Amino acid sequence: MLSMRFTITTLVALVLKSFIEKERGRGKSTLNSSGCVSNIQFWHNFRNAYNMVLHKFGEKLYSGLVSTMTSHLKEISKSIEAAQGDSFLEELNRKWNDHNKALQMIRDILMYMDRTYIPSTHKTPVHELGLNLWRDNIIHSSKIQTRLLNTLLELVHRERTGEVIDRGLMRNIIKMLMDLGSLVYQEDFEKPFLEVSAEFYKVESQEFIECCDCGEYLKKAEKRLNEEIERVTHYLDAKSEVKITNVVEKEMIANHMLSLVHMENSGLVNMLLDDKYEDLGRMYNLFRRVPNGLLTIREVMTSHLRETGKQLVTDPERLKDPVEFVQRLLDEKDKYDSIISLAFSNDKTFQNALNSSFEYFINLNARSPEFISLFVDDKLRKGLKGVSEEDVEVILDKVMMLFRYLQEKDVFEKYYKQHLAKRLLSGKTVSDDAERSLIVKLKTECGYQFTSKLEGMFTDMKTSQDTMQGFYASHPELGDGPTLVVQVLTTGSWPTQPNVTCNLPAEMSALCEKFRSYYLGTHTGRRLSWQTNMGTADVKATFGKGQKHELNVSTFQMCVLMLFNNADRLSYKEIEQATEIPASDLKRCLQSMACVKGKNVLRKEPMSKDIGEEDAFFVNDKFTSKFYKVKIGTVVAQKESEPEKQETRQRVEEDRKPQIEAAIVRIMKSRRVLDHNNIIAEVTKQLQSRFLANPTEIKKRIESLIERDFLERDTIDRKLYRYLA
Amino acid sequence: MRRSAARKTGQSNSTAPITSSATDLFRSASSKASSKEMERIDNLFYSYANRSSGLIDPEGIENLCSDMEVDHTDVRILMLAWKMKAEKQGYFTVEEWRRGLKALRADTVNKLKKALPELEKEVKRPSNFVDFYSYSFRYCLTEEKQKSIDIESICQLLDLVLGSHFRAQVDYFIEYLKIQNDYKVINMDQWMGFYHFCTEISFPDLSNYDPELAWPLILDNFVEWMQEKRT
Repeated sequence: MLSMRFTITTLVALVLKSFIEKERGRGKSTLNSSGCVSNIQFWHNFRNAYNMVLHKFGEKLYSGLVSTMTSHLKEISKSIEAAQGDSFLEELNRKWNDHNKALQMIRDILMYMDRTYIPSTHKTPVHELGLNLWRDNIIHSSKIQTRLLNTLLELVHRERTGEVIDRGLMRNIIKMLMDLGSLVYQEDFEKPFLEVSAEFYKVESQEFIECCDCGEYLKKAEKRLNEEIERVTHYLDAKSEVKITNVVEKEMIANHMLSLVHMENSGLVNMLLDDKYEDLGRMYNLFRRVPNGLLTIREVMTSHLRETGKQLVTDPERLKDPVEFVQRLLDEKDKYDSIISLAFSNDKTFQNALNSSFEYFINLNARSPEFISLFVDDKLRKGLKGVSEEDVEVILDKVMMLFRYLQEKDVFEKYYKQHLAKRLLSGKTVSDDAERSLIVKLKTECGYQFTSKLEGMFTDMKTSQDTMQGFYASHPELGDGPTLVVQVLTTGSWPTQPNVTCNLPAEMSALCEKFRSYYLGTHTGRRLSWQTNMGTADVKATFGKGQKHELNVSTFQMCVLMLFNNADRLSYKEIEQATEIPASDLKRCLQSMACVKGKNVLRKEPMSKDIGEEDAFFVNDKFTSKFYKVKIGTVVAQKESEPEKQETRQRVEEDRKPQIEAAIVRIMKSRRVLDHNNIIAEVTKQLQSRFLANPTEIKKRIESLIERDFLERDTIDRKLYRYLA
Repeated sequence: MRRSAARKTGQSNSTAPITSSATDLFRSASSKASSKEMERIDNLFYSYANRSSGLIDPEGIENLCSDMEVDHTDVRILMLAWKMKAEKQGYFTVEEWRRGLKALRADTVNKLKKALPELEKEVKRPSNFVDFYSYSFRYCLTEEKQKSIDIESICQLLDLVLGSHFRAQVDYFIEYLKIQNDYKVINMDQWMGFYHFCTEISFPDLSNYDPELAWPLILDNFVEWMQEKRT
């Protein structure tokens, strides 16, 4: 027995001793320079251990191992405790390395025990035992535990404040803790590390918030975040990364989110106004890491957008120029598109917020549909002159995008039709291709019905050209007379115009009659009515000093001018009688020829601006213009006057009634029975692409349909409607 | 005829059983009585009817009313028309007359007059009242294809038919109808809607009125007007 005990002790002690001696740099050991046991000694020890276990002395071997190692470690502990200042960690590290090497060897020697005795008795395997003993006697020793933690935290703090530390050493020590088990790592380092870090960043973020503007703060926060990530890669457990970044995110970002976003002069709104893409991008990347971060940005952006948009569309100054108005809207959209793509990585939720904001404020102004049509009109008249085909497409696509936001698309349609008619009839469109391209886009967006009439207008223009050719081909004798150009408009396709006639000069009326019989000769069953309020004429005039000019005038103006071929002086009354032009039109017509500088081909007595019943008119023989061709008063699409606006609005409302009824009948025909709320919802949905249906109006239509026996109310449940076949 | 006469005098046919004779007695008595009644009803009809048209016309109705000591604008005349299921306002056909008087078991003017209170009670019963209410609207549609009644007449009709039950609602609604401009006539749907309004909506607070439901628009507007008046 004694010998056995002796053997155990010597065995273990021998191994351990060799380490001590090696350290002291003297004495022979069983280890060679690289720490490998010389073979003979190893096998000797191994065999001893083997025999012990075999002869049922495993218990003794094991407990001896424990006690010997423990006392050895206690010695080690003292030497570590004795280390001063910076050498504390170094000493710990050194001793740890030694221990590991020893453990390996011991494990090898005691392998048999490890594989037989230990499993059968459920004791801790040798290597693990060695680690546990290290943990209990060194790491958790009262003199080392706290000092170790504080040292590590101190080093981290120093690094955070800009000092350079020994990262390799840190890595080793941390690795040691990790090797001792995740619980050790977490309890003895990670948890306190996270707490201290939280405190550190809480303080720092408070300082920064007080002295930095938003952009600077975000830069600092980003920097700190990156530093922590780097720290983890260099000397912490990879699993700590998400935990420490959470700490930074919480302390530096989440806790100050609102103050940052709303910071005066440098917050989110300022960044948006100044297109600070980099700062916005940084904010986006940082905020997306915290709960509700992006939501906060989005909400502030949306409310800002809605507010500025609302101001834009309700500002009376802006409303004076429709083209400018729409251009501002497009610019605003471009601005935010850039921000979202450059700074917010094309985030779809931000796109949606942008769209819903635009939809909100564009529809705040009831004239938006009219203005957008006016914008298009301006572009198609002159704005797109000289613009390349691709750029034209770009502009039209942008217009379509605004169009999509409109709730009252049918109002736009009405205005667009009016403006298109004027463009076509005055020949004032810059590019036929551009016109057609826009029609195609509208068709894609709204369906065939929307554009069929518009296309009809184009067809009429083309057909009229062919008709004119045919007319002149079959009437060669007319070659010398005044040239007539007729546009035959199909009533249903063109915007309704009041039918105005007047007395044309003899030459013209004869020509017109010839045309009428020609046309009706080839198209029986049709009725032609001359729209004298819509035409134009080119009149060659010779003035007092022989100056010749070609005057481009309206049909009405032409009628007035031709009268002066047979009279030098004409009173207003005489002109009115002769031409039978309606009074208000006649007055405007005369004003444009007598009262406008540079266009005063007529002279008026008295010289006042207003036209009085007794006024007299003469040809202005002193008329001059540096141009040969003088244009007087063309028909241009203008912003509607108040009464015109009311009229258009009323017509739109009237047009909506049958559409609502058709939708109701369609729905009821397929559903047979439906309750009130569902009808309202379905009808609204069906009409959405054209306009926003008013529930009260829908109710009115339902009642009208009940009265006309298309529907009935259910007798028992009065919320239900039934379709009557 | 003869058999029943014989029965009356006690002479019986030995081959006929006793029970059938009793029912026969009853049947013949009632059929004799009913045919007598019918005769009287018819006679009464013709006493008021117009000779040439064969119908009781407005003048005849007026006579009837004065005989009954009831004003011809009284709602009970409307109720009588309802009982008769009379189709045309101001006229009774002989079938309608027969139908009504038979149901009321009246074959003289006096009996008719006495039957009126009972008739009133009958009409007031909820199951009958809705029918009476909708009937009264249809009764006022004088022209063929007419679907609506002008505001003036509606106001009178409302007062007549609903005035006693829902005084407050009727008064306010009539006031509203007179000042609003949206509707110049009222149709059946709106007419019925008002009745349901009276029976379901607490008045005058209107607290349980929901404009999102399928109430006719005119009532939505009426409620809005009432609420504006209150503020």
